[in-house]
Amino acid sequence: MIMIAKDKFNKLFINKIFIRIFWMAIFMLIWEMIYLSHSFSPLILPSLGTILKSMYSNLLSGELIKETLYSLNLIFKGLGIGIIISITLASLSFVSKLFEGLVETLTAIAHPLPGIALLPLIILWLGATPHAIVFIIIHSVVWPLALNTYSGFKSIPKVYRQIGENYELSILQIIYHILIPASLPYFLTGLKIGWARAWRALISAEMIFGATGENGGLGWFIFKRRVFMDTPGIFAGLIVIVLIGILVENLVIVNLEKLTIRKWGMSI
Amino acid sequence: MILEMKNLTKSFKGSNSKSLVLEHINFNVNRRDFLCVVGPSGCGKSTLLKLIACFDKFDSGSILLNNKVVTAPQLNRIMVFQEFDQLFPWKTIVENIAFPIRVNNISMSKKESYEIAKKYISMVNLNNYENYYPHELSGGMKQRVAIARALAINPQILLMDEPFGSLDAQTRTTLQEMLIEIWEQTNITIIFVTHDIHEAILLSNKILVMDKNPGRVKKIIQNMLPRPRNPMQPGFSDIYYEVYNLL
Amino acid sequence: MTKIFQGKYKAILLIFLYFLYFSSLLMGCSHKNEEKVTERLRIAEQYGLAYAPLQIMKTNKILEKNLPSIEISWQQVSNTTAIREAMLSNKIDAGFMAIPPFLIGLDKGMEWKIASGLSYSPTKLITNKNNIKSLKDFTKEDKIALPQPGSVQHILLSMACEKELGDSHKLDNLILTLSHPDAMNSLLSGNGVTAHFASPPYIGEELKDDKMHLVLDGRNVMEGDFTFIVGVTTKELYTKNPKVYYGFVKSISEAIDFINKNTEKSAEILAPLYNLSKEETYKLLTAEGNKYNTKVEGLEKFSQFMLKNKYISKNYTLKEVLWNDNDSKR
Repeated sequence: MIMIAKDKFNKLFINKIFIRIFWMAIFMLIWEMIYLSHSFSPLILPSLGTILKSMYSNLLSGELIKETLYSLNLIFKGLGIGIIISITLASLSFVSKLFEGLVETLTAIAHPLPGIALLPLIILWLGATPHAIVFIIIHSVVWPLALNTYSGFKSIPKVYRQIGENYELSILQIIYHILIPASLPYFLTGLKIGWARAWRALISAEMIFGATGENGGLGWFIFKRRVFMDTPGIFAGLIVIVLIGILVENLVIVNLEKLTIRKWGMSI
Repeated sequence: MILEMKNLTKSFKGSNSKSLVLEHINFNVNRRDFLCVVGPSGCGKSTLLKLIACFDKFDSGSILLNNKVVTAPQLNRIMVFQEFDQLFPWKTIVENIAFPIRVNNISMSKKESYEIAKKYISMVNLNNYENYYPHELSGGMKQRVAIARALAINPQILLMDEPFGSLDAQTRTTLQEMLIEIWEQTNITIIFVTHDIHEAILLSNKILVMDKNPGRVKKIIQNMLPRPRNPMQPGFSDIYYEVYNLL
Repeated sequence: MTKIFQGKYKAILLIFLYFLYFSSLLMGCSHKNEEKVTERLRIAEQYGLAYAPLQIMKTNKILEKNLPSIEISWQQVSNTTAIREAMLSNKIDAGFMAIPPFLIGLDKGMEWKIASGLSYSPTKLITNKNNIKSLKDFTKEDKIALPQPGSVQHILLSMACEKELGDSHKLDNLILTLSHPDAMNSLLSGNGVTAHFASPPYIGEELKDDKMHLVLDGRNVMEGDFTFIVGVTTKELYTKNPKVYYGFVKSISEAIDFINKNTEKSAEILAPLYNLSKEETYKLLTAEGNKYNTKVEGLEKFSQFMLKNKYISKNYTLKEVLWNDNDSKR
């Protein structure tokens, strides 16, 4: 009897989701204990209750949802354009050694630059519009993604290309029908990195940039809360940022992997 | 149809020196020939096949197909490679075969290409596996799909580079029998590279024996043994020893 | 004994040590207050014409004179929000800011009050678009640059909106957060913001350009003079360190006296800090609307407006936000 219970208990603990929830509960417990011990002002560390209340009221007023959707809209726009540019850069590098050199040089210069460092310059060039933010998102995505995709192109088995040539496919057909699907594992790795960088850059840019019109995104939401000393509101915003990060990385991208590279037996 | 190899020479430029891989290769292949190329390892037989497919360039000489010089890979000479991973893993079996049929034929619909593909799947005895992915198949099954894919385009020449080399004896035998059957039923010409003398005698109507360092044509042996063949039949061991002594 | 350093015992020992280390950090945080409070004064340093007395204080070493054995430190803080946060984490004792951000902090539970007034300063809304003569001429396409939401410029703009347009939040969606230098560049470039709620010397620089003109004057919105910058200290400083607190207040008063009585000399001292000539600095110091005084004016008007528009939750009278009532009666 005890053996069965013990076995079930162990199995429960191995379940990944349960483990995560377990540690989050511990974390929340420690948080609340620190709050109750009054080591910090509630303006720095508010109670979980006030944070949740703030989340609830911000959701209800629609503001949190509006700003979240605004941010998501910007990032998916940037992601889409970034993906197209990356694949184009990788393809051109594949076709011409001269272009490969160009892309490698560009990447070496641009990759280490954090997007927000470029923000003041970009505002000067593109004006104070959401276009400036989308530009920063594209910059955050393109370099890791192009790099990874090109790596993928280079590491495909030589046979695939020979088969493509055997079928008298043009270079564009080879890229579209063979190279891109074959390098999908690398592409998805690059996408994960690009997404993470873009999301962080977006929120930071929104904090600095300010609202243009009615919306300013999640970063601006947090910034306003900070200025008006609404610390529970800040945490509410942060929680949403984390949730979206988790959702995209663990739901969207992982499912993308499941539908493609795992189905095809291609995971790295 | 006639495929002519005229005085082919190829060198390989290594990091230190230049080495002659193939020298003065001359032979012809006629329609419906089943030519097996045998030779010691390193004699350049795979390289020769790649030159015929035009995946590689030779230094001097020429290759003529029906009196026309060939310079680039073409649909009339399809290669079946040795590795198992020559199928596209992101496509199902039927899609792997249908894709090359359809890709340069704008008028053909997906459905039509699938119909054709299914016929070839039948030919290699893989019915019911249409919607599987390559990673779900065994090595022997993958090679069968590769052969089906090559045949589905209706090439004039099938180039096979030790396709059964990595398979176990039983599967190899099954596939050899299947290949012979297909060859007998269609008009196809096959150039088959192998290091296995038994296999060469089993399959071929002509055996090209190669020498190495540099790779040269030593002798072309006609193989007129009656089919179906087996190693016990009279005449088999004679040819075997003839080839063996040349190597 | 050696068994402790092997295998899983090592892991347990390490975890235990880390735990001790981190809890000591946490405990340390709340006990740092007790160290050496009476020996120091930490002030947030800020630049600009409105903070001129601070520079005078520094250059003439007024604090050192009034508080001889105290450790004086000036810390770079970028804006009012940063001052609030630095006070909360016990990094500074005193800072200078406009009245609205002070009220917002007070309303949210900051334990601070005003120690002294510092300066009155002109603040004006300037635009580069010809057809904008008053607030109602702004359209959705326009952008108004100001330091941040909740700043005195934002509140003044809201007040004007309420008066002229009937809705204090009417132009909120046109606001763009930019520092004064960035805002000026954007305004002058012609393809950025269309208006800037500016302070000197940016007001002067911008109006030099023919294409620019005035839309709003802060004094008109407030219907009179109002204190632009006040000096604020933590409760800690006032209650636990009254000697230092009074020394601080006295020093501010002396610095202000110095500027008012020795304006030319002050211009000489300040000119290199602002990168302007002595004459230009003198002009700015004596410009209309620019004066230095320890009085605190206009607080109640701000408070009433901000309460009405829900920026704060209750009303504040001048008396309840001063540490020492006597100081205001100069």
